[in-house]
Amino acid sequence: MKHLFISLLLFPLLCAAEPATLIRSTELKSEPASDATTVAQLAENTAVDARERKGGWTRVKTKSGDGWVKMLALRYGSPAKSGDSGIGRLFSTARTGSSGTTVTTGVRGLDGDQIKTAQPNAAQLKKLHGYAVDAQTASGFAASGKLQAQKVDYP
Amino acid sequence: MRILFFLVSFLLVGVAQAQFRLPNLDVNRIIDTAKNVGKATLEIGEKDEISIGNDMAARLLGAAPLVDDPALQQYVNRVGRWLAAQTERPDLPWQFGVLDTADVNAFAVPGGTIFVTRGLLAQMKSEAELAGALAHEIGHVLKKHHLKAIQKNAQAALAGEALNLALKDQRSAARDKLLSAGSELYARGLDKSDELEADRLGVVIAARGGYDAYGLPAVLQTLQSMNAEDSSLALMFKTHPAPAERLEALDKMQPTLERYGSQPQLAERFIAELKK
Repeated sequence: MKHLFISLLLFPLLCAAEPATLIRSTELKSEPASDATTVAQLAENTAVDARERKGGWTRVKTKSGDGWVKMLALRYGSPAKSGDSGIGRLFSTARTGSSGTTVTTGVRGLDGDQIKTAQPNAAQLKKLHGYAVDAQTASGFAASGKLQAQKVDYP
Repeated sequence: MRILFFLVSFLLVGVAQAQFRLPNLDVNRIIDTAKNVGKATLEIGEKDEISIGNDMAARLLGAAPLVDDPALQQYVNRVGRWLAAQTERPDLPWQFGVLDTADVNAFAVPGGTIFVTRGLLAQMKSEAELAGALAHEIGHVLKKHHLKAIQKNAQAALAGEALNLALKDQRSAARDKLLSAGSELYARGLDKSDELEADRLGVVIAARGGYDAYGLPAVLQTLQSMNAEDSSLALMFKTHPAPAERLEALDKMQPTLERYGSQPQLAERFIAELKK
């Protein structure tokens, strides 16, 4: 019984599904492609369970069925929570101007004060230089991953 | 007697030259200063940009050292160098480093130095996502966002020819002021418009490198899904627009994203390289 309770607790983690919300009305597709069959028309603010991504598509489970939606139409977090906390709260942490050190979990990360007071570390800079690779090495590495350079203009 | 005459004239010429040299130097300096005052913003050349960048990188490394894992560091350098080769500044001395901190962040330093943190790498699922984040930082270097901001911030503290001195003399107090302005900037962040521009450039640069163009949006979506109160996000959220806002701004990039959205993600290679 205890085991069942624990596995129930872990269940959402094991599924790797995350609660997400649609920020606009979106078509639920049978495959990750615009020309795939539309399974359902999902309304704005629909709650979904988001799974893996394939290109610009994310696989979701919804009350209207399973399928794929445009990833940019998704925001993570459940709709109930996003009202009071979520983005609003994120802004308040970002804009209060109080230093990052006020939020602590015991482990000190890399905060603004550390950056401002840091002394130069020449030995580390030397190490950094040593890790650099030349363009030719990088090009061979890209080829081994079957990456093909494209001509793309800036917007 | 002849020798004495020789010596005396030699000395005289020497004195005359010395007398001339000093005012000459001053004249040059005055001209330099006049040039500075005349030009509202002195254009910092590439050599100085690289030199300031190295000093700045040494300071950031003083705040968080590199992860002691040569294989990981070289992997990130290969991805980054390949992306940099697709840009308008392919010949900068590009170097990439993974900082040993659980904090989730990345930094671009003038002259071609890019840092990502171990904490940010841990949130990524594929090489395309790494490429997206590196490409965003490369975009900052291309547009000289930090260099311009450091210069602007330092100008209040470094009046007149002091900026010139800061560029020329690495041991000067002026140089220290310039670098301090840099540290301030990394703690405070760039203008929002610079960040959103780097996002757009990042999508394009990753696509040019042949990666799934959705890598950067995917990283932003992961950041958006994390608890905003997590202390490991504090500095990044303080210095960047909210991930949701950045994702919304990337909606404009839909045509590029869709066109290059089916290029390789290289998730397997990424996972294998991180496990090494």
